[in-house]
Amino acid sequence: MASSSSFFTFSSQTTLHSHLHRNTFLTKTQFPVPKKSSESNFFGLRLSPSTSRSPLSPCSFKSSIFAKVNKGQSAPDFTLKDQNGKPVSLKKYKGKPVVVYFYPADETPGCTKQACAFRDSYEKFKKAGAEVIGISGDDSASHKAFASKYKLPYTLLSDEGNRVRKDWGVPGDLFGALPGRQTYVLDKNGVVQLIYNNQFQPEKHIDETLKFLKAA
Amino acid sequence: MAVSFQTKYPLRPITNVPRTHHRSSFLHVRVTCSATTTTTTKTQPNREKKLVVEKRFVSPPLSNDPTLQSTWTHRLWVAAGCTTLVASLAKSVIGGVGSHLWLEPALAGYAGYVLADLGSGVYHWAIDNYGDESTPLVGAQIEAFQGHHKWPWTITRRQFANNLHALARVITFTVLPLDLAFNDPVVHGFVSTFAFCIMFSQQFHAWAHGTKSKLPPLVVALQDMGVLVSRKQHGEHHRAPYNNNYCIVSGAWNKVLDESKAFEILEMVLFFKLGVRPRSWSEPNSEWTEETDLSSSQA
Repeated sequence: MASSSSFFTFSSQTTLHSHLHRNTFLTKTQFPVPKKSSESNFFGLRLSPSTSRSPLSPCSFKSSIFAKVNKGQSAPDFTLKDQNGKPVSLKKYKGKPVVVYFYPADETPGCTKQACAFRDSYEKFKKAGAEVIGISGDDSASHKAFASKYKLPYTLLSDEGNRVRKDWGVPGDLFGALPGRQTYVLDKNGVVQLIYNNQFQPEKHIDETLKFLKAA
Repeated sequence: MAVSFQTKYPLRPITNVPRTHHRSSFLHVRVTCSATTTTTTKTQPNREKKLVVEKRFVSPPLSNDPTLQSTWTHRLWVAAGCTTLVASLAKSVIGGVGSHLWLEPALAGYAGYVLADLGSGVYHWAIDNYGDESTPLVGAQIEAFQGHHKWPWTITRRQFANNLHALARVITFTVLPLDLAFNDPVVHGFVSTFAFCIMFSQQFHAWAHGTKSKLPPLVVALQDMGVLVSRKQHGEHHRAPYNNNYCIVSGAWNKVLDESKAFEILEMVLFFKLGVRPRSWSEPNSEWTEETDLSSSQA
């Protein structure tokens, strides 16, 4: 699918693959999504669909071959420092849904838009019983300044060396030139129920994850 | 006020020494006032210090400022540039007639016009976002662009050769070798229009800052037709977030480049690969923000 998209594909196509019991729905797709591929796209063209592994389509943009965390899988635990330098483990959030969003870097235009959008909708996430965690490779000091400047009410974690990003298999964009922008929604048992990838329409991450949480 | 941005530009040296530049009477101190407003408990002294720096920073050029007027050197460069263009055009026409070709050179000419718009956008984006006055070769131009953002209206006060001479110099050095090396009418069809549009892009740019009532009717018509960049479209470039509408020949590429986020992509790649932050990512500071209070007194 990504193989047939041009370098700058502007159509906002999303493919959401929700919980197994729900109907998978496609919005505005122009071409069929191969169910067994894991790819990154710029404009939210697809998400990780199934639990089975499969080889990449030849012209995919993504950098890692296999997504290591797929929908339906239990997300691997990690412990990273937050913006105050305190270690935070993912397992601490078990018992409630968590939105884990990987973003390229603090103080970049897209990430700022995304962070502010999560901030502005934070109450809605809380109402849905969910917590929000942002993860990038920036250090705690950078996160602290970023969170303070934009008054972000949620936790930002410092993934030094992008270890967790690699462990989770977050695909890069532009042949790995850019860290990918991918969001995972974990249910209260820590199982991944939604993965959304969109590098250049960051606000859509909020729309899609909220839509999913409300429908859950 | 913008503090941290200075530390995030590894390629931009922070200069604290006031510059005495014979050319630019209005560009004295590079922005260092931001460096004074660091986190401190004593806000009052810092504010005063900042105001002092701002006062001796700049004042906009007056209409009769010599820096806006053309010199004979400027005129010579414009003449040289035009000569190389005419030579290229002549080679294209004469060669085309001789070879009974007209469509291919004409198409090449059109391609030159189209690509010049794209080229103007890419160059403008680069100059607006990266480097500073100490950058080799283009430092003076970068400084001039910064000054332009601060006082956009001054471009309409620049005399013709003053406005174009820098580009004319580049065109002379580029097109002259091509004139000497090639005779192909198609090549020269492209070169002559591409180079003409690039050289005169500053004039198109100045017209885009003009007011409808003061511009020649033909210019207004060409702007309205989209042949030249429109006043409205270029005006968008001078408004926050200052990261769009970079093309200044016809402006035809602006929509494509902005909607495709081409420059945003390039900026992100440069940031992650080279660690350089474009100026447009920072909050508007004194370098970008137009001095509207002074503009009304200058107009």
